[in-house]
Amino acid sequence: MFKFQKEQEIVNIAGVKIGGQPGELPTVLAGTIFYDKHEIVKDVARGLFDRAAAEKLINLQEASAEETGNPHIIHIFGTTPESITRYIDFVAEISEAPFLIDSPEGNVRSHAAEYVSEIGLADKAIYNSINMSINGSEIEALALSDIDSSIILGFNATDSSLQGRMEMLETGAGLLEEGLLSIADRCGIINKLIDPSMTPMGNGAGVALRMTITAKAKWGHPTGSGIHNAPSAWNWLNKKKETDPVLYKICDVGSTCLQQAAAGDFILYGPIEYAPYVFPMAAMSDIMISEAVADLDIEPASRHPVNLLV
Amino acid sequence: MKTIADTWPIVKGDYTVGNPRSRIAVVTLASQINPSPEVALWGSSKTENLGVEKIIVNTISNSNIRYILICGMESRGHLAGNSLLSIHTNGIDKKGRIIGSEGAIPFIENISREAVKRFQQQVVLLDRIGLTDLTEIMKIVRKYKDRGEVYPEEPLVAISQKKRQSTFTLPRSGDIIVSEEFVMDSAAGIVCPTKDF
Repeated sequence: MFKFQKEQEIVNIAGVKIGGQPGELPTVLAGTIFYDKHEIVKDVARGLFDRAAAEKLINLQEASAEETGNPHIIHIFGTTPESITRYIDFVAEISEAPFLIDSPEGNVRSHAAEYVSEIGLADKAIYNSINMSINGSEIEALALSDIDSSIILGFNATDSSLQGRMEMLETGAGLLEEGLLSIADRCGIINKLIDPSMTPMGNGAGVALRMTITAKAKWGHPTGSGIHNAPSAWNWLNKKKETDPVLYKICDVGSTCLQQAAAGDFILYGPIEYAPYVFPMAAMSDIMISEAVADLDIEPASRHPVNLLV
Repeated sequence: MKTIADTWPIVKGDYTVGNPRSRIAVVTLASQINPSPEVALWGSSKTENLGVEKIIVNTISNSNIRYILICGMESRGHLAGNSLLSIHTNGIDKKGRIIGSEGAIPFIENISREAVKRFQQQVVLLDRIGLTDLTEIMKIVRKYKDRGEVYPEEPLVAISQKKRQSTFTLPRSGDIIVSEEFVMDSAAGIVCPTKDF
C-alpha cells in the first residue's frame, strides 16, 4: 500500500466523512434502492413500492454500517420526476443518512435537484452525476439548486484510456467546451466525488482502478466507483449465474475489495440487499489497508473497522 | 465468396447465435425475449455507445445479414434503439457523435467511418421499437430470414486494437509514497526508487 504526497481532501456530507489517505477513513458504501427491476417497486413510472420492504432494506444497510463502522449512503434510482420525488420523500422519512439522486435522464436529475432544494434536503443529497451528457438546462437547474455535493463521472465515450478520462474532467477532452470539474464549480459543487466510470470488462474496467489512484494523486478529491457494474455486465458470469447464483454474488461483492485496494474512498455497491455481505467484505479490506499503512503516519478514524472488529 | 468472418461473432455480448446464414438479426433493446434459431444473432442492447458499436461489428462481419429488427423496450435515457437508427441514417460527425441521436452519450470510439458506411449499405433496419410480442416478432423474422441476397462483399472485421502501447516517457519520480525506498508515479503507474524522487 501507499500514501499520497498530495493532501487528501475529506468532505463531510450530512455527517458522513469521505476521502483521506488510504487506511484513514472507513470506505463509504452506497446500496441502490428502487433500481431497474427491483422487486419492491410496483409502478416504475409513478414510484409506487412496498414501503415495508423498502424500510426493511434501508434498516438492513444501516445495521450493517453500525456493525462494521463503514458509513452508508442510500443510492436512490428513479426514472421519472414523479417516482424520484416519492422515493426521496420516503428515504428522508426513514433515514438520516445522505442519499444519492440518480437517474439516466437529465430532466429527472434536474427535477430531483430542484425538489430537494425546495424541501430543505439539499445538504443530504448527492447529485449523480455530472457527466459528459450534461447540457445547458441541467447545468442551470443544478446551479440554481442548493445542492453542493456531486459525483463527477470520468466517462469518455470516444477515448476510454486513462488520459481520455482525465481530460474529460480537466478540459472536456475536446468534446465539451470545458472540463467537468470546471462545470461542477459553476454549478456550486463544493464536495466533488470523482468516479472514474466503471465501463464493462473488455472496455477498460481496469482503467477505472488506475484512474482512482491518478485522480487522487492529482486533485486529492474523494474518489470511488460502482465497481460491481464490471462483474454485473460480464456476460460470461451472467451465464454462470443461471446455474450457480452464489458464484455471481461472490464476484459482485468481491469486486469491492479491488476498488478499495486501488485507494477508493466510496463504493456504489449495487443492490441494497447485498449489504450484509458487502459491509464485512469492505471492512476486511479496510482493516488490511489500515494495517499496511500504519507506519506511513496515517491514523485510522475512531470508528474505523480496525478499531471496531479486531 | 467468403460470407462470414472466421471468428464471427467478433465481439462478445448479451446475445445468442442462431443460424449464421439467416438474413435477419434481432435487437431486443432493454427487453429479454426468448431467442429463435431462425435468426443469425439475437440479443439485447441497452447503451447508445458500446452497444451500438457491438451490433455494427457483428453485423458487417457477416455478409448474410441484410435486415436488423429493432424491437423491445427502449432503455430510458440511453435510447440505444434511437441511436442505432440514427447512426444508420445519419452516420457520425468528426468527433464520433452519432448525428441525430437523442441518447445521453451517443459516441463511437472503437470503429471507423468505413465500418459505419458498410453497416449503412449492408442492412435495412426494421424499426419496431416497443414491440415485445414474440408471435409478432417471429412473423417478421419469417418474412425476412430468407429474403434477398448475400451482401456482395466479403465480411469486414472492424474493431480497433486495444491500446496497450505506452504513450508517454517512463517517469523517474513519483507522487505516491510506497515506502522509504520507493515512490510511485500515479499517472504512469510506475514504482521507482526515492533517489529519483
